[in-house]
Amino acid sequence: MRIRVETSSGMPITRQIAAQIRAQCASGTLQHGQRLPSVRALAAELDVNQNTILRVYERLTAEGLLERRHGDGTFVADCVPTGQMQAQRQLLRQEIARAVELAKTLGVDAEELHRLLDDEITLIRD
Amino acid sequence: MNETAIELRGLVKSYGKKAVLTGLDLAVPKGSVLGLLGTNGAGKTTMIKCALGLIRPQEGSARLLGEDSWTLSAAAKIRLGYVPQTINLYPWMKVRQLIDYTAAFYPNWNQELAARLMSEWSLPANDRIGPLSVGQLQKVAIVLALGHDPDLLILDEPAASLDPLARRQFLRMIIELAEPGRRTVLFSTHITADLERVADRVAILKAGRIAWQGLLEDLKEQTHVSLEDSFLEMHDA
Repeated sequence: MRIRVETSSGMPITRQIAAQIRAQCASGTLQHGQRLPSVRALAAELDVNQNTILRVYERLTAEGLLERRHGDGTFVADCVPTGQMQAQRQLLRQEIARAVELAKTLGVDAEELHRLLDDEITLIRD
Repeated sequence: MNETAIELRGLVKSYGKKAVLTGLDLAVPKGSVLGLLGTNGAGKTTMIKCALGLIRPQEGSARLLGEDSWTLSAAAKIRLGYVPQTINLYPWMKVRQLIDYTAAFYPNWNQELAARLMSEWSLPANDRIGPLSVGQLQKVAIVLALGHDPDLLILDEPAASLDPLARRQFLRMIIELAEPGRRTVLFSTHITADLERVADRVAILKAGRIAWQGLLEDLKEQTHVSLEDSFLEMHDA
């Protein structure tokens, strides 16, 4: 699972991880019935406290997005309602707007910004 | 089994005329990893020593694993691991001797864990304790505190003298060892970045009291800034 944690951010780590799992469910990167890493494994991978991961899984289970099967692990339960998908896209737009703003401050022109974006897309594909 | 691992109420402690703790309350639920933040001289070590029953507060009560800290039973002590800020170990012993010597006090010593930490941290088993660097000493002390697989681990500025690599390894180890619901960890630090990933709870010590305690995520939901910014703001910096 591809998740990034930003510790110097004002957003709690739980919220960051939950948002990324939601987004991956919404986009289909995570599919119905797919098993998520164990609490211990994901905590080790992201270098964060196990309680933090546990809390994320519990929260997403309460939302109906994940399903915890006793002794078997955590699975993607349901597909996400379209409304939430739109909210996720909205979030992406905001992120992009922020990046564009920063580019402007740094004097990065449109062409270079496009190129940077292309580079990132290539990186993620690999 | 929702035992509170550490419970401090109204702690007051002064040295001569200098008031260090001025009515400190803290509750650490079992299974949490609590980062105790405070500036140099804020009273972190004094608080920890009161919690452990190493010094007696003038007022208030300190309880550890359900018992009065001042009269801890052997059964409670065996569930406890502690790494002090200033480490005093027998300088004439070799690292391996000291570890074997300490292991002999504990019926539940985890040989495998101790050996793993020794090798991960490249500790020189056959060197004497005396000439070790501060960082190496700290690593030895951590192995000694973890070897008996304690339910409650208290670390006073554990990462302060570690190099960046050892510090990363150490924080990873805390993450791995802090199983939800089982082991409780309290560690004091003045480095906020260490806490962001490792701790799920934070207590901020200021002027002899806990200025804020709770879940790190709740603090962030309230402030919308990084832990470092919250900390600085609480100190009007």
